[in-house]
Amino acid sequence: MNIVVCVKQVPDTATERKLRSDDKTLDRDAADGVVNELDEYAVEEALRLKEAHGGEVTVLSMGPAKATETIRKALAMGADKAVHLSDDALRGSDALSTSYALAETLKKIGFDLVILGSESTDARTGVLAAMLAERLGTPQLTLANKVEVDGSAIAIQRVTDYGYDKVEASLPAVVSVVEKINEPRYPSFKGIMAAKKKPVETLAIGDAEISADQVGLASAWSEVVDFAAAPPRAAGTVVKDEGDGGVKAAEFLASKKFV
Amino acid sequence: MRFVLDAEQRLFGETLDKLLTEAAVAGVARDWAAGRHGPGLALWRSLAAAGVLALAVPESAGGAGPLPVELVTAFHELGRHGVPGPYAETVAASVLLGRLPGDSSSAAWLPAIADGTAVVSLALPPAVPYALDADVAGLVLTVDGGELRAAVPGEARTSLDPARRLFAITPGEVIAEDATAATAEGYDMGALMCAAQLVGLGRRLLEVSVDHARTRRQFGRPIGEFQAVRHHLANALVGLEYARPLVYGAALSYGTPDFATDVSAAKVSAAEAAYTAARIALQVHGAIGYTDEYDPSLLIRKARALHSAWGSPAAHRARVMSALAH
Repeated sequence: MNIVVCVKQVPDTATERKLRSDDKTLDRDAADGVVNELDEYAVEEALRLKEAHGGEVTVLSMGPAKATETIRKALAMGADKAVHLSDDALRGSDALSTSYALAETLKKIGFDLVILGSESTDARTGVLAAMLAERLGTPQLTLANKVEVDGSAIAIQRVTDYGYDKVEASLPAVVSVVEKINEPRYPSFKGIMAAKKKPVETLAIGDAEISADQVGLASAWSEVVDFAAAPPRAAGTVVKDEGDGGVKAAEFLASKKFV
Repeated sequence: MRFVLDAEQRLFGETLDKLLTEAAVAGVARDWAAGRHGPGLALWRSLAAAGVLALAVPESAGGAGPLPVELVTAFHELGRHGVPGPYAETVAASVLLGRLPGDSSSAAWLPAIADGTAVVSLALPPAVPYALDADVAGLVLTVDGGELRAAVPGEARTSLDPARRLFAITPGEVIAEDATAATAEGYDMGALMCAAQLVGLGRRLLEVSVDHARTRRQFGRPIGEFQAVRHHLANALVGLEYARPLVYGAALSYGTPDFATDVSAAKVSAAEAAYTAARIALQVHGAIGYTDEYDPSLLIRKARALHSAWGSPAAHRARVMSALAH
């Protein structure tokens, strides 16, 4: 089975994240880049499927040159090879154009199964899996906390508010995973050293037949108009219990439509 | 000489940091001190799976080493998280056993060390008089008059660090007759691991002290706003920043005639820097610093114990002195 895992480098959630004042895109130099956490679960799931069913795991990442660190980490966990889609023309792409660029690349490199984390910690749109499936004309199996493959059949448990739905489809397919699905492995020293020798193919948009007028900031369908720091949290209301504390608490809850 | 770690070494260190953060080592250390070894041995196996215990075992015996820079990177993280267990001892034993002739029966231990199934402790008197955690070790070694011998652990002693459980030993069956050179190299590697742990330990003590100084308020402001507190913290940082390159420098001189001297210089400065950081951490924290239930107290006590483990600063200064005199 030819599994492709999409991984994204995101600014470290432990540090202060910033947007650039000039074009309102993410300021990648302001914070350390780390692997989007949910993508580690996607890599782990891909590796487990490979271990159970055989095949090959390819890491696909779209991002600037710096994203090679993220690719190396996924390779160190055990993925076999990587494709790095990197081009200045891609900078500022929104979800629609990112899905277009990734779909074109996936068509070029081929796949039986595409696995993604269900959202990124920076953009947090959570729509990429659905968009990719649509563009690739394959079934989408999103928010999976369990994946089972049997021949060309695939079944997942899709997390819902009330429990889970069982969703079945046939390969090729696109799957997005949630953090309950597994426990990502730590790269071992051996894995880290082996990753040095694994092939990483770097593609520019021309190599993947991506047309420049459908990607990048200028072609984005969404626009960041303005941004501001979140206001500091206001002090809470203190209710002094003078025999009527219960009533006041109930009134507060009612005012927030909890009761 | 290039002291900057490469991308792989950095990723290795970050991975161990993440693994140890999630392992919540303070609780593991408390269990270890109380004689409950289960969680500590589980952590041993996780660290072996990450490749730590294979770094000092020769490639011919199923290991990846010896790789002194990677070892120092790993032991810096073991120190930062205050991991209990005879890790430096096992690394020293790996180097020692790896230097013996290949047909030696004790060399059979090396693959088991590399994959984490064998825990080894040793005593190398006079610098290492007691075997650390000998009751969990499958193999305990000692050297007596140049002969490498299996050691029989006796009575347990208390250490300044409750998570370091020391055992007096009596020399047993002879394993190798002339182990003088192998012992010297094993000792130096053990001392270097101890130095790396000390720098990591000092780092963590500085980190928790800086956090405390930023959040603890007194006289209407964070105590970190008082210049006297800042001076203390800056002194701790300066000591650690001077020690760190000596530790990595010693790792780089492995296999050269300078190794022993470089290790001694590194051990002296790491021990003094970590001990200074520990005293400053104690003072910055006030009384809470030596509260048993408060995690930094575990590190403060470990810093004092490691200060004189693997050779006291005086013994290592004497080695540097004699090298300079020649």
